[in-house]
Amino acid sequence: MSFLEDYAYYFGAFGLIFIGLLIMLVKHNLIKVIIGLSILDTGVNLFLISVGYISNGTAPIFCRDDMDPSRMVDPVPQALVLTAIVIGVAVLAMALAIAVRLYQRYGTLDLRKIKELRW
Amino acid sequence: MVSPVLLIAVPLGLAFAMPLIALISRRLPRFVPLVACAFNLIVAIRLIPTVLSAPVIQRIGGFSPPFCINLFAGPVGVMFAGLIALAGLVIAIYALSYIRTGPTVRYHMLYMLLLVGATGVVLTGDVFNLFVFFEVLCISSYALVAYFGDRNGLEAAAKYLIQGAVGSALLLMGIGLLYGLFGTLNMADIASRIGSVSDISVFVPLALIVSGLGVEAAIFPLNAWLPDAHSSAPSSISAILSGIAIEVGLYAVVRMIFTVFGATSIFMFLLFLGVLTVLMGELCAFAQTNIKRMLAYSSIGQIGLIVFAFAMASTISLAGGLFQLLTHTLSKALLFLAAGYMIHRSGSMEISSLNGMGRRMPLTSLAFSFGAFSIVGLPPFIGFPSKFLIVRSALEKQQTLFTLLLGFVLLGTLVEGAYFFRVVQAIYFKKSGDEPASRSLAPALPLISMLILAVLIIFVGIYPQPVADALSTAASDLLDRAAYIGSVLR
Amino acid sequence: MRVFLSLLALAVIALGIAMTLTDIPFGKPKADIATHYVENGREDTGAVNIITSVVLGYRGFDTLGEVAVLFVAAMGLGAVLATGTRTPKANGWEPASLVLYTGCRFLFPLIVLFGAYIFIHGHLTPGGGFQGGAIIASAFLLTYLGCRGRRVHEAWSSAVESLGGLTFVVLGLAGLTAAGHYFLSAFLPAGTLGQLFSGGIIPLIYIAIGLKVGSELAGVIDRLVEESQ
Repeated sequence: MSFLEDYAYYFGAFGLIFIGLLIMLVKHNLIKVIIGLSILDTGVNLFLISVGYISNGTAPIFCRDDMDPSRMVDPVPQALVLTAIVIGVAVLAMALAIAVRLYQRYGTLDLRKIKELRW
Repeated sequence: MVSPVLLIAVPLGLAFAMPLIALISRRLPRFVPLVACAFNLIVAIRLIPTVLSAPVIQRIGGFSPPFCINLFAGPVGVMFAGLIALAGLVIAIYALSYIRTGPTVRYHMLYMLLLVGATGVVLTGDVFNLFVFFEVLCISSYALVAYFGDRNGLEAAAKYLIQGAVGSALLLMGIGLLYGLFGTLNMADIASRIGSVSDISVFVPLALIVSGLGVEAAIFPLNAWLPDAHSSAPSSISAILSGIAIEVGLYAVVRMIFTVFGATSIFMFLLFLGVLTVLMGELCAFAQTNIKRMLAYSSIGQIGLIVFAFAMASTISLAGGLFQLLTHTLSKALLFLAAGYMIHRSGSMEISSLNGMGRRMPLTSLAFSFGAFSIVGLPPFIGFPSKFLIVRSALEKQQTLFTLLLGFVLLGTLVEGAYFFRVVQAIYFKKSGDEPASRSLAPALPLISMLILAVLIIFVGIYPQPVADALSTAASDLLDRAAYIGSVLR
Repeated sequence: MRVFLSLLALAVIALGIAMTLTDIPFGKPKADIATHYVENGREDTGAVNIITSVVLGYRGFDTLGEVAVLFVAAMGLGAVLATGTRTPKANGWEPASLVLYTGCRFLFPLIVLFGAYIFIHGHLTPGGGFQGGAIIASAFLLTYLGCRGRRVHEAWSSAVESLGGLTFVVLGLAGLTAAGHYFLSAFLPAGTLGQLFSGGIIPLIYIAIGLKVGSELAGVIDRLVEESQ
């Protein structure tokens, strides 16, 4: 039981990651693939955040002078996630733009039907 | 002394300024990449003598290294930066007259940002910073592949984006695991602590990071996107993707394996992967009838050859690999640029439509043949000394396995020679059916850029020694982990 | 078959990651570098919010790359969605129902003000340039809801975008020439901890980022809305 308690956040994060990866591998609709990508990104971000957590920690902001630095959670993963979220938004925006154009050209979003280029 | 951070900051600043410049005049922005690349080239050339003696560590923000992001401007990084600037400059000259339709201002901005991302990847000394610049490179190339907005381009961009995005997610996961294990992101700091945890724990982040970066580097099982993306993009973008983007991905893989992880145990695996990549790329290229797809598959074969050279992990083989990289950048850029105008002229990408091109576009055809001969490795072009170095390094190992694998690689080279000669033969010796042989030249600016590349290919091919010497210094920079760690964390 | 193979591949990856995770205990005290940031962040950068001091101080270069990524996305979206012929600008815009329209008009300045507060106080309270910029972009999203056909002025938004990015780079280069010869070094006086006017270049950069991100995200939304009409 303590194993589950110790690693609960990791289970959540990697659960999301694998759900996202599975969607991307299995689904054929481009929009669903993009949704899978978004879930995957969320999972990775959650994992990064949980790496930096310490039990009963506080946010690393000195809003009062008497705060204890040793109880503050690791600020680095939070900074990394800020960057990773922005990058995720950028990729998502590009993916949606390409999907919009692809739909206008092909009239479908089914990746099995969009196959003019072969090996 | 000039600071290496200028190589990133100045082009980035110019890219940010381009919307303002476009407000003043819509004709000005297309000259900005020229200015930025020329500036970078000058800075890189001025830095090379300094970094050949000792690497320059630029600390961003002025904190001491494990606590801040540092740029590591070693010989490899600065040479790459110079190569990116050179290829960028030549292709920017070409694009001045090649890119006429579509949102041209945005094309030039994205092009600049692609080069900024590539320069950032080769100079940074921080794992997460590498990820960020890698994304700049990737996202701008997704957009540029879809630039024309035609069916093929969009389909290729969608495939490229999906595979690239999964690769980035794997890379980020690997970085997260590394941070969890070591609590640091600085490459040198990670490298110095890598021995403190068990091998299996290190192997998982290594596998995630190498496969994440390997998507962009087009190593064998991860390169399904490449032929589509490279053949559907505008020719100037195919040239920069083939000449710069995959090389930068490969650099990142090599930096991770050699410097950060010091993973000597996977070299054998990489060796086989390299040989497989060569055979698969060259055989597929042989089967193509579309000239740009043929060039794209040939890029895969070349990447395999470079991976093969790197995986032998001796100073001379690394120097050979870096030399082959230089060869590939210059020659493949020349091939794509020449092919771009030949396709423009004949209106089709089929190899059969190039029949008799030698009479219709003499200079462009000559440039294409130079590029082809150089890639195949004929003297007196640059491809000869680089392939020679790789062959020599494999024979120096004096083991049956290496000789055998080298045999397979040379078989791949033979196939490569076959299909390139087939195209050259079609260009010069087959009669074109439809139109009478009227001569015409490509516009002056593309010819200038092709001329620069052709001259470089021949010049370095005749005088390879100074380049080879500089590259063997660079190779020891990649091999010597202790020196890397020491110079950053002193 | 495809599902089965995918599940198998994922199971192998999961097994590998699980083995590594045993070396990364959850909730245990952090590494020495993070401790260094928490203990010295205030003196080094003058920001009370340690995350801000990491984002813009210790790892400021990442943030520069991040701004570049967003810029790439905005530009790339424009390039991919650019129609060959420029769509004629809608002359009049039709407001939605009176309640929605009035509500949007009332909320728009408040949301913009709130976004500005978030990025101006980025070194003191949770938040910062990216968060504030996203809030400002949401205000523009609201105008599309309340006013069909209303557009962001393209020249203005690209000018703001461009100036925001330039400010960041120029501040970095100023650090290179002014103090200590390091890119992005804090060359302005740090001021008193916890005051609004403190933290050297950090609030300046966050204001630039906030405006840039706001106009970029608003531009992205604008492009996609235009495409769907």
